[in-house]
Amino acid sequence: MLAFFGRSVIQKIVTLFFVSVVSFLIIHLAPGEPSQIDPLNPKFTPEMVERMRKEFNLDKPLHIQYLLFYRNLFNGRIVSWRDNLPVLGKIWERFLNSLPLFIVGTLLTWTISFPVGIRSAIQRDGIYDKSTTFLSYLLISIPGFFFAYILIIFVVTKLHVPVIGMETFGVTASSPLVRIMDRTWHLVLPSILGATGGVAVLSRYVRGQMLEIIGQDYVRTARAKGLSSETVYYKHALRNALLPFVTMFGLILPGLIGGSVIIESIFSWPGMGRMAYEAILGRDYPVILTINFLTAVLVLAGTLVSDLLYMVVDPRIKI
Amino acid sequence: MSTESKPMHFIGAGETFMPPSYSPWAQTWHLLLKNRMALAGLLIFLIFFIVAIIGLIVTGGVDPILDPARVRLQEKLRPPLSLPKTDTLRKEELPALGIYLLGTDDLGRDVFVRMLQGAWVSLTVGFVAVGIAVGIGILLGGLSGYYGRLSIRLYHILFWSLVVTVAGFTFHQRFWAAALLLTVTITAVAWKRRLDSRLLPLPGPLRWLAMPTLQVDTLIMRAVDIMLCFPSFFLILTVVALLPPSIYNIMVIIGLTSWMGTTRFVRAEFLSLRELDFVAAARALGISDARIIFRHIMPNAIAPVLVSATLGIASAMLTEAGLSFLGFGVPPPHATWGNILSDGKAYIFDAPWLTFIPGVVILIVVLAFNLFGEGMRDIFNPKLRERN
Repeated sequence: MLAFFGRSVIQKIVTLFFVSVVSFLIIHLAPGEPSQIDPLNPKFTPEMVERMRKEFNLDKPLHIQYLLFYRNLFNGRIVSWRDNLPVLGKIWERFLNSLPLFIVGTLLTWTISFPVGIRSAIQRDGIYDKSTTFLSYLLISIPGFFFAYILIIFVVTKLHVPVIGMETFGVTASSPLVRIMDRTWHLVLPSILGATGGVAVLSRYVRGQMLEIIGQDYVRTARAKGLSSETVYYKHALRNALLPFVTMFGLILPGLIGGSVIIESIFSWPGMGRMAYEAILGRDYPVILTINFLTAVLVLAGTLVSDLLYMVVDPRIKI
Repeated sequence: MSTESKPMHFIGAGETFMPPSYSPWAQTWHLLLKNRMALAGLLIFLIFFIVAIIGLIVTGGVDPILDPARVRLQEKLRPPLSLPKTDTLRKEELPALGIYLLGTDDLGRDVFVRMLQGAWVSLTVGFVAVGIAVGIGILLGGLSGYYGRLSIRLYHILFWSLVVTVAGFTFHQRFWAAALLLTVTITAVAWKRRLDSRLLPLPGPLRWLAMPTLQVDTLIMRAVDIMLCFPSFFLILTVVALLPPSIYNIMVIIGLTSWMGTTRFVRAEFLSLRELDFVAAARALGISDARIIFRHIMPNAIAPVLVSATLGIASAMLTEAGLSFLGFGVPPPHATWGNILSDGKAYIFDAPWLTFIPGVVILIVVLAFNLFGEGMRDIFNPKLRERN
């Protein structure tokens, strides 16, 4: 167990190293440079560009730039090229904004998809199963931004609630209750949108898993013993069907920092996704690379956690 | 498998009872006919395909029959099914169909014609991107599954670094150096070949060149792991934003960032298939590796790949729409569904059709691909086959 842990940690660090190299190369070998972002601006004299290149180490060879960048990243001294603020601080601030979206979205996903998936597995090929199946295909296929507009039109015209941004402008002056309600309303739509894809995929997965378990011999045995279908489904089948989902707890980790670019742009939500988008637009390399690196760390940590969880919950798996 | 709907097949005098002699494709077709949703998906896909080709014909060329770029500022934001005002338009500005079937946008361009043009763009983006992804996936997955246990030796690395250096010299127009290195490389390869054909090892002082480093399988699977660490939409967005905007860049980038699933898939199929008896038999007959891979193993592994390709087309089209929405999509002269939608969002309350028409069309087409793909997955799944 410990050997497995050590081995996979080493393997993941090696992977992380290559990820850092590849992302660095992608960014720096692509045509265009941050110093050329606004060539028509009269303030950008050649001397100015030269000074910027020097300031940002862009005049050094690529491998030196790489070393300097990751040394600064690990020292926490890395700063954004746009406003000279520490990148990690900026990310933390945006992360706190994205966190409520992530939490509510994840809760919605997991609380909706399990009952739906289990019920459609039990009533296989019934009306309920067929309609939820179709609905989940519908939700997978709808472009997120289009769905967002439909929901916005509905909420704004029918319910008369403002939904854009994190809170209504000037609401800070009103009573705490009003503010909480306002925050909640602003949270609802983006979280629902963030959860739709997840609900559709996860409920199908739950259904498939349940179906596979229901077809097993021990479930038939349980039924043959004369147990009530409640006991058969929820005690014998569900517990075993849950196994693979334990590992999914690890896989939702990267979502923490992902943040949906499209949803956050539509709702002007000052979260991670939007920050990444702005960084890409402004060629703010430190921010792009840091977000990329942190995501890779979370992906790798997530797979490690899910491997370990799987070993803990499933005694059949031994290393 | 239902037998009641199939005729029983008798051979000869009627005494020998044979199992129904359906080819796998006929069986698949039979199951597809029973899966209503998948069949509907296939139908919509065919209609979409035909529409896209018609769209290419009528909107393409120098002087198209229906011009998607025709601007009529006095006719902007007309609702669907409205007739053009003939008194304010010049003759060549009149819509060829005589009616704005799906209305006009903020520049007075005919949305129906733009949608027709966009159909072809969406189709090519989906197919080319998935074609690239599946091509890379089959190649790497096949290599990893079939040759996975072979080791990459130092001379392989040496060979490829020589090739890269030659390419680098050529790129920097130092042709003499390139030619010299190329000669060295070719001589070395030829010498190694001759040694191999006589079953001789490398001579003593050079034996270290044959040192095994990594296994092919390890290399490819680690590459997959590395690629999976990138958040895919973010990566696509970054690269698209850094490169000059072009429709081909988008196709290539979507393709280059989505081959990992297919690779893992094909590798798993190859790993299980290469151990089966028919492959052993083929090898015993002295059939070449290439023929075993492409004629014997590939046909058995291709069905699930096609399924994931169908689903991949759906997601590539959604990705393209998302990129267009963020303003990184296909650049302006081309109309795409994502572009039309994203241009229309400013007029969502005054001209909702600009949002709803492309949105609903994207939804229907992507849904069709998803239904068809998932339906085929069920059909190809032997576990589910038995129950049907």
